[in-house]
Amino acid sequence: MLQIEGIRKEFSAGAVPVVALAAVDLAVERGEFVTLVGPSGCGKSSLLTLISGLAPPSAGRIRIAGRDIAGTDRAVGFITQQDNLFPWRMLIDNVALALELAGVGAAERRREAARWIKRVGLEGFEQAFPHQLSGGMRQRANIIRTLIYEPSVILMDEPFGPLDAQTRLSLQALLLSIWETQRSTVLFVTHDLTEAIALADRVVLMSARPGRIVRTDRVDIPRPRDIFHLHDLPEFRRLYDALWNELAAQLDGFGRSTH
Amino acid sequence: MTRCGTNWQPSSMASVEAPTEGAAAPNAADPAAPRRRARAPWFSPDNVVSMQVSRILFALVVLGAWQYGADRWFDSFFFSTPLKIFVQVGHELIDPGFYNDLWVTGFEMGVGFAIGAGGGIALGVLLARWAYVAKVLDPFLLALYSIPRVALAPMLIVWFGIGYSSKIFLGATLVFFITFFNTLAGIRSVDKALCDIARVMQATEWQVFMKVMLPAASSWILTSVKISLPFALVGVILGEYLVSSQGLGFRLNTYSTNYNITGAMAIVFLMMVLMLLLTMVTNTIEARVLRWRPKSAAEPVAQA
Repeated sequence: MLQIEGIRKEFSAGAVPVVALAAVDLAVERGEFVTLVGPSGCGKSSLLTLISGLAPPSAGRIRIAGRDIAGTDRAVGFITQQDNLFPWRMLIDNVALALELAGVGAAERRREAARWIKRVGLEGFEQAFPHQLSGGMRQRANIIRTLIYEPSVILMDEPFGPLDAQTRLSLQALLLSIWETQRSTVLFVTHDLTEAIALADRVVLMSARPGRIVRTDRVDIPRPRDIFHLHDLPEFRRLYDALWNELAAQLDGFGRSTH
Repeated sequence: MTRCGTNWQPSSMASVEAPTEGAAAPNAADPAAPRRRARAPWFSPDNVVSMQVSRILFALVVLGAWQYGADRWFDSFFFSTPLKIFVQVGHELIDPGFYNDLWVTGFEMGVGFAIGAGGGIALGVLLARWAYVAKVLDPFLLALYSIPRVALAPMLIVWFGIGYSSKIFLGATLVFFITFFNTLAGIRSVDKALCDIARVMQATEWQVFMKVMLPAASSWILTSVKISLPFALVGVILGEYLVSSQGLGFRLNTYSTNYNITGAMAIVFLMMVLMLLLTMVTNTIEARVLRWRPKSAAEPVAQA
């Protein structure tokens, strides 16, 4: 579904070019949920920005369903860490934004938005402005305003990062329950190993800068998953330890591969 | 000018020529916390009752001293008295000539304001989209802005005659730069992340502009419109005062050249009331249009 081939990204920080990503190859299958973890500054977020088409890679190519992607694309949705809701729009119009941009009529897009709002338990807040909502509520709105237009590939950049632990857990469960009926292709960046394992079909670990993919692990925990009790499973523990050892090595030998 | 808790404009507005101590006052007077009304101690700024009582007392003391001191401490020929002015205001309000002058001034002010604000917003929007031209024009606009507009008045009379248009132009130039600089700054300060959200959703650049940039800049634009409104009046009255045959400025000039200080003071008072009313209207419009903005950090947030 999503193929990333030899992606490289350099930034110029002052006079010196910084290599954020060095030759990243990754393939995500249709309907697969892949999480991307790595030490901070390893370029995981940069990779998502490149796939979203908001910035061009320095080298390499990105394909979706066999098609080369240049620039932003209808098939790719991007859910950012900051909710970035439009403060001047009521919740329902924030959620309906993509449909509005696509020229869907007011009544229809509001009906559709209301359906999604209900689905994530925000009914009653349709007319609220973002500043009147809590962080968790805003993040739910941020997620459904992308889901509403059903892009086939959904990129998520630490969407639960700014939330407190309980809210985070309940939103993870909500995301999984939606995804299990939707089965879109998801590439989800996080720095939280627990979250990475709990959500994913596959966990991809990146190295410290310049970012490369160090290892990939399949998560063999059957779905639907009970996100609140995953930690007790031996499979979870085994994978967590393995990933943590690798990550710790990345943190020690900053910029040097141990693989 | 910026007071804790009076969240009435972007802080960077301070960089613009500011008439605004007066314009800001009705807002600053808003009680920050009506909930605490009953329990606030008497000399707390949150105590609404004591605040009103103190204000009335203050006004009475000042006016009383003025009234009492007239022809005791100073010559009432030069300073008039509150009572005389009060009576004169009554005379003005029943004089059809006053309403004619009010209408002329209001008309000139309205047209000048519309042209200035419309032009300022339009050019601000245009240059925000067209960075190259904006940079080319930057020093020239700054230079034009730096001209004391009053100094143009003699030329304006030559160019536009002594009718409406010279007053309209004077009002418009004062309004124009305030709205222009703020519109430009407002659009430039729009969070790129919000634009990116729309771009990922396949928004055209026109849609990004209409649905993200313009609404995001709306608080800047509206605030500049609000603070520039008094300048329209300033420009018009200045123009009328210099050369004209009707308008409040003309009326003021007539009184003062006849040494009728009471009449002049009454007109100044009525101008003040006019401006206060306009400010209240714009505050109401602003509050309505910008109702999406948080009123204060303390505002409760929904939990679910």
